[in-house]
Amino acid sequence: MIRLEHVTYTYPDAASPALNDVSLELPEGQLILVIGPSGAGKSTLLRCLNGLTPHFSGGVLRGAIHVAGLDPVSVTPRVLSRHVGFVFQDPEAQFVTETVEDEIAFALENAAMSRQEMRVRVEETLDLLDLTPLRDRPIKTLSGGERQRVAIAAALALRPSILALDEPTSQLDPKSAEDVLNSLVRLNQDLGLTIILAEHRLERVLPYVDSILYLPDDDGPVLFDDVRTMMGKIELAPPLVRLGKALGWRPLPLTIKEGLRFSRPWFAEHSVAALRRSKPQPARNGEPSIRARGVKVRFGQQEALRGIDLELWPGEIVVLMGRNGAGKTTLLRSLVGLVRPHAGVIEVAGQNIAGQQVADICRKVGYLPQDPNTLLFAESVEQELRVTLRNHRMDAEERKIAALLQRLKLHDKMNAYPRDLSVGERQRVALAAISVTQPGALLLDEPTRGLDYAAKQELERMLREWRDEGMAILVVTHDVELAAAIADRVILMSQGEIIAEGPPADVLATSPLFAPQIARLFPESGWLTVEDVLGANGRCQD
Amino acid sequence: MDVSVKGALTPNAWRAASHLRRSIHSMAWMAWVAAIVVIATLTRNPWYLGLVIASVAFVRRRCAAPSESPHATLLSPVRFSLLVITTAALFNMAMVHVGATVLFTLPPWIPLLGGAWTLEALAYGALNGAALVSLFLGFSVLNRATSVRSLLRLIPRAFYPVAVVTSIAVSFIPTTLQQIEQIREAQAVRGHRLRGVRSWLPLLIPLLEGGMERALQLAEAMTARGFAGGVETRDRWPQMLTLTGFVGLVAGWLLQIVWRQQEAGAALLAFGALLLLTGLWRAGRRHPHTVYRPEQWRARDWLVAVAAGAAALAYLLPLFARETLFYYPYPALSWPAFDWRIGLATLGLLAPALS
Repeated sequence: MIRLEHVTYTYPDAASPALNDVSLELPEGQLILVIGPSGAGKSTLLRCLNGLTPHFSGGVLRGAIHVAGLDPVSVTPRVLSRHVGFVFQDPEAQFVTETVEDEIAFALENAAMSRQEMRVRVEETLDLLDLTPLRDRPIKTLSGGERQRVAIAAALALRPSILALDEPTSQLDPKSAEDVLNSLVRLNQDLGLTIILAEHRLERVLPYVDSILYLPDDDGPVLFDDVRTMMGKIELAPPLVRLGKALGWRPLPLTIKEGLRFSRPWFAEHSVAALRRSKPQPARNGEPSIRARGVKVRFGQQEALRGIDLELWPGEIVVLMGRNGAGKTTLLRSLVGLVRPHAGVIEVAGQNIAGQQVADICRKVGYLPQDPNTLLFAESVEQELRVTLRNHRMDAEERKIAALLQRLKLHDKMNAYPRDLSVGERQRVALAAISVTQPGALLLDEPTRGLDYAAKQELERMLREWRDEGMAILVVTHDVELAAAIADRVILMSQGEIIAEGPPADVLATSPLFAPQIARLFPESGWLTVEDVLGANGRCQD
Repeated sequence: MDVSVKGALTPNAWRAASHLRRSIHSMAWMAWVAAIVVIATLTRNPWYLGLVIASVAFVRRRCAAPSESPHATLLSPVRFSLLVITTAALFNMAMVHVGATVLFTLPPWIPLLGGAWTLEALAYGALNGAALVSLFLGFSVLNRATSVRSLLRLIPRAFYPVAVVTSIAVSFIPTTLQQIEQIREAQAVRGHRLRGVRSWLPLLIPLLEGGMERALQLAEAMTARGFAGGVETRDRWPQMLTLTGFVGLVAGWLLQIVWRQQEAGAALLAFGALLLLTGLWRAGRRHPHTVYRPEQWRARDWLVAVAAGAAALAYLLPLFARETLFYYPYPALSWPAFDWRIGLATLGLLAPALS
């Protein structure tokens, strides 16, 4: 079905190849997950399947590729579009038309299909992805999950036998991601569609996939096997699997259901240790860094925030969660003055921010927007920091800049052009650019989007360090495992209101949507991370 | 012919559904706007211009769906029209110092402005403004009643890739505006205060790079779905034909204009046009594609197109009292003449508002 023989591909002007001597054979009809660190060539590999690489990207490709009996290098992407559907990471960036139906019909129009046949195809495709009720809707009115389903439908309109998806759930909340993944499973099971999916958030996708393709970023071997075997072989694993490995559960559990078979008896033996050792709440002294009272924001007729009360204290990490469109980003933006509430008071470091300029507020509060790329424009990493300091008319002390870069592990990239760096590095540069003023509070919007496992751990470490030094940190995220790992306090929002607030063990563990894997395994324990469980295990053996 | 599929609409229900979306064919709207352009260019008679503006305003009220974008309501069309007419009138009065009815006189040593300010100049300026307003209103109706994409469908098939790329470029404008806002905010977050043009310069880099990245992503997405921008073929005929045709057109035109060879020029022009069309037709066959939901041309579209055509012809052809078109207030303001047949034909512009 899909066969790569000694494929080496180098992007134009690149020093080293993105894919180095890759040979593999992927079986038909499976749901295959492609994992590996950033820069290992996951996207490039997917693009090789439908000829975007090298036809679209240029560069040099050596070796042979066979996809659905064709050679993507010698036939055009147009021919391959009938055999391989492709869904991109950003739902926004892939839509050509304005309405759902037209979007699905686009590929059919390009294939010069007769109108009668097109009608049948569009109907079927709408049915396949449960989009019939949305058929006439303009795409811009759809939610993130719905958009991604439209993108899948559009890719499937030509009935390809292979569907490739490049991080399709990275921008979705847990529920929307689940909807998209369930659609994929159904396509795979009902139609026998071969699905190849690249994704960083293993805990989300692992229960759904048949096998895993692992691309290393160094010269290590490319690995391919069924999920269970692969989970035994590689380091990268979701919390459930890490725990299973640590406690020697065999066969390794992959779903919560499988995990519960082990965790229930294990918990019965070790329950003594579960004596609720909730994390010590950081002491609150002095003033809160940010205080919001009765904040209401309205966009036209729509109420985005309906009376938010919030306090953010020095030395705590608060994680803000909720479905897409719950008002999380609006809340963050109103805290730095980018959105002005029509009622309520926001105080930053004890001062009311009404009437203050965004630039002045942001000297005391660092704000990292969803897309860190919009922040970067200077010639070098070091310059980015100097520009911020100059904007605020602050002195650029060599020592301080060097220390911050050292801390964010960017010191060897000091003179690099920021936009050439990897996703994780770019995000750290953006973080450096907003925190060089040493603000008392830090607001981060979806900081783990697109980050691989290592970059995510690095971010967690940095946030904890800053927290311990007394910074107040507020993180908006869909990533439940990140919340479990770093939160001192969790706030859940829905429809512009705070619906729950408290220690993560209380708020997250009971939520059907936002519970991390470990909380699902040990519902009564208050444990959230693998470390919590292993710590309890350690205490038991003492 | 009828394929019955579970959940599929029958062809009739289908057609009904697609009619709900756009009631008048884009081509009919184009004919309507073309008529307005012709009339607004040809006449300065206040009666006729008034009729055009009134008809178009009426059509605008009846047909045009209210636009969703908040920017559209920034300046009401009434206020904009008044602004245009006043500005044109004052400008003309300040610049043109002829006419019998002198309102006041500025000292002649003032460059441009000096001299007699006359009622005639004011009137003629206002009429020019009114012609502009009728054009503006006509296009604003077109803009609201049809989508850019349906207009682009009218582009010949040879230009299909061009049409799609243009339609994407058009949809990029709102995204780019959004992007500008995002970047402006991101810079404010870094303490960047926007004062003057120089402070905007840093925003250009992320904007351009972001725009390039999105354009590439979209191009990739389109390629992945079988949209081939440049199809590689060995068929050089379309290029040869269009090129020769174009050369023929230019040569024919030159013959007519420069060397006064009317017949030979006309023949060459016709020949060039034929070659050009053949070339485009051949090129069009290289881009096979179909349209999912083509617009339906119905009786009502005939009505709009024919009425608009009649209105334009009444002004173009010397059928009726053509001299009434060229109203000229100089040297002394006079009462403009009115021919009821031309007036009646002008009311053909109301056709889109019928039914």
